[in-house]
Amino acid sequence: MRNIIFGPLLRLVPVGIVALSIQRVVFAAHPVHDVKLQFVLAVVVAAGAGGGSDRGAVAGFVLGLLYDMSGNTPFGLMALAYGLGGMTAGYVHTFTPDPQWWLASIFAFIGAAVGEAAIPVAEVITGEQGWLTSDARWTIPIVALFAALMCPLLMPVGRWMMGVRRKKWKAMLE
Amino acid sequence: MLSGLSRRRILLLVVLTCVLLITLDKRGNPVIDQIRSVFARVVAPIDTATEALTLPLERVWDGISNYDDLQQQNEALWDQIQLMKGNDVEAKSSILEYRELLKLNQLTSKFQYKTVPATVVGASPSNFQNTVEINVGSRQGVQVGMPVTDGAGLIGRITKVFADRSIVLLITDPEFAVEAQVLSTPGGPAVTPEPPTDDTTLSGIPVSDLTSSTSSSTSTTTTTTQPLPPELTPITDPSQSTSTSTVTGSSTAPAAATTTSTVLEVVRETGTLEGQGAAKRMVLRFVDTTSSVTSVKIGAIVDTAGGNNSLAPQGIPIGIISRIERQTGSSSALVEVTPNASLQRLNFVAVVLYSPNQDAVGK
Repeated sequence: MRNIIFGPLLRLVPVGIVALSIQRVVFAAHPVHDVKLQFVLAVVVAAGAGGGSDRGAVAGFVLGLLYDMSGNTPFGLMALAYGLGGMTAGYVHTFTPDPQWWLASIFAFIGAAVGEAAIPVAEVITGEQGWLTSDARWTIPIVALFAALMCPLLMPVGRWMMGVRRKKWKAMLE
Repeated sequence: MLSGLSRRRILLLVVLTCVLLITLDKRGNPVIDQIRSVFARVVAPIDTATEALTLPLERVWDGISNYDDLQQQNEALWDQIQLMKGNDVEAKSSILEYRELLKLNQLTSKFQYKTVPATVVGASPSNFQNTVEINVGSRQGVQVGMPVTDGAGLIGRITKVFADRSIVLLITDPEFAVEAQVLSTPGGPAVTPEPPTDDTTLSGIPVSDLTSSTSSSTSTTTTTTQPLPPELTPITDPSQSTSTSTVTGSSTAPAAATTTSTVLEVVRETGTLEGQGAAKRMVLRFVDTTSSVTSVKIGAIVDTAGGNNSLAPQGIPIGIISRIERQTGSSSALVEVTPNASLQRLNFVAVVLYSPNQDAVGK
């Protein structure tokens, strides 16, 4: 219990709220070619790329739940999609525990693409109609590219948020 | 926290928890609604702070990148304001006559419903939802299903209501559908207005005629074939009686000028208007599938049809028909409608306090 309270959750929730606020105020209001860049998803995949797939899944779950609380999405839908995205990005750790920035960015790209694509798919599965008609051809690559570009900047935040200390992964590497 | 669980177990736990939460929310859970309401109150001051921090940066960026565009846009808007002043006078005159006719025929319209003004406080952060958040809620009398308009027409309907905020599903969302009607003039040209000049309104009436004395100089009479009392015999050709309701009007020019009477037949076709996604035109599906091929033309005005099972009262403008594409092997055509409202730039809106039938809300 102590680990949960003083562990990642204590940092995840405030960081998530701030990220969500930036998403709502800045990125939702300024779409790029009609695509809203997903800052929260970028934080999630950065946490995954920095801390591994299990931590990425938890970060995606918690930040996705915060997203669901603020919007009109079914409660748990973004948590599911972002959890998958964070976990996918975290698979970079199967190659190396301390990935280079470009390798982390590649996995952040894949993770963000999975996370963004999972939203309409999950929504159709849960019974909502018509979401696949949205123009996902452009949305997914643009959102994924944004997450990949932001990954080197956000990875330290993601690691701190998930309580991953530098000596921990350096020790694993040695 | 995570060390005791394997990767597969964490994934399984996350997926099962999400499925459970989605199921609970889909079935309607007051606890989740309460959590959302509380969360909105917690996040609101943080949003305000973020906005305060980012606004100067946004303005600097806009100043650098958009100054020329804004100047051009400003000049174009001033021109548009001058034109619209004339149109406004004409429109007010028409609305007054329309209300009188409705009263005469004991019909209802949107004008009998009160509205609650609101401000759009946020757009959906997601790419897969076409919603906006407004700053009025149940305390102001807003309920789920109520239509929301802006100055240009219908923009959507309320889908979630909290104490002081509501979520509006925009008309372009694929889940949005509303009963709509098209007023068109079969046989004649499309309803697309002539390009106005500086001295005339969109319909060609001199602005001076309208502004000097609207009530005395402009006389427009519209009569309806069905609901009128027998003593008011409408000017209709019996051969024109069709299954659709036909409205016939005669407009008379200002008294001082040479009187020219034009008999204008207007056909009303009804159907369902459905959203197709952001930045896509809406699609209109007629009850009578042949309507789109025979009587409806590009430029025709689309507004809400009203009725017991409609989400909105009759007469709220929605948009204009922008494309009609014939479909091979079908008697119907694909009719696309461009909304009047600029959904990307919503700021001030109004919630029409019209409670639709619960079956319609469920749809």
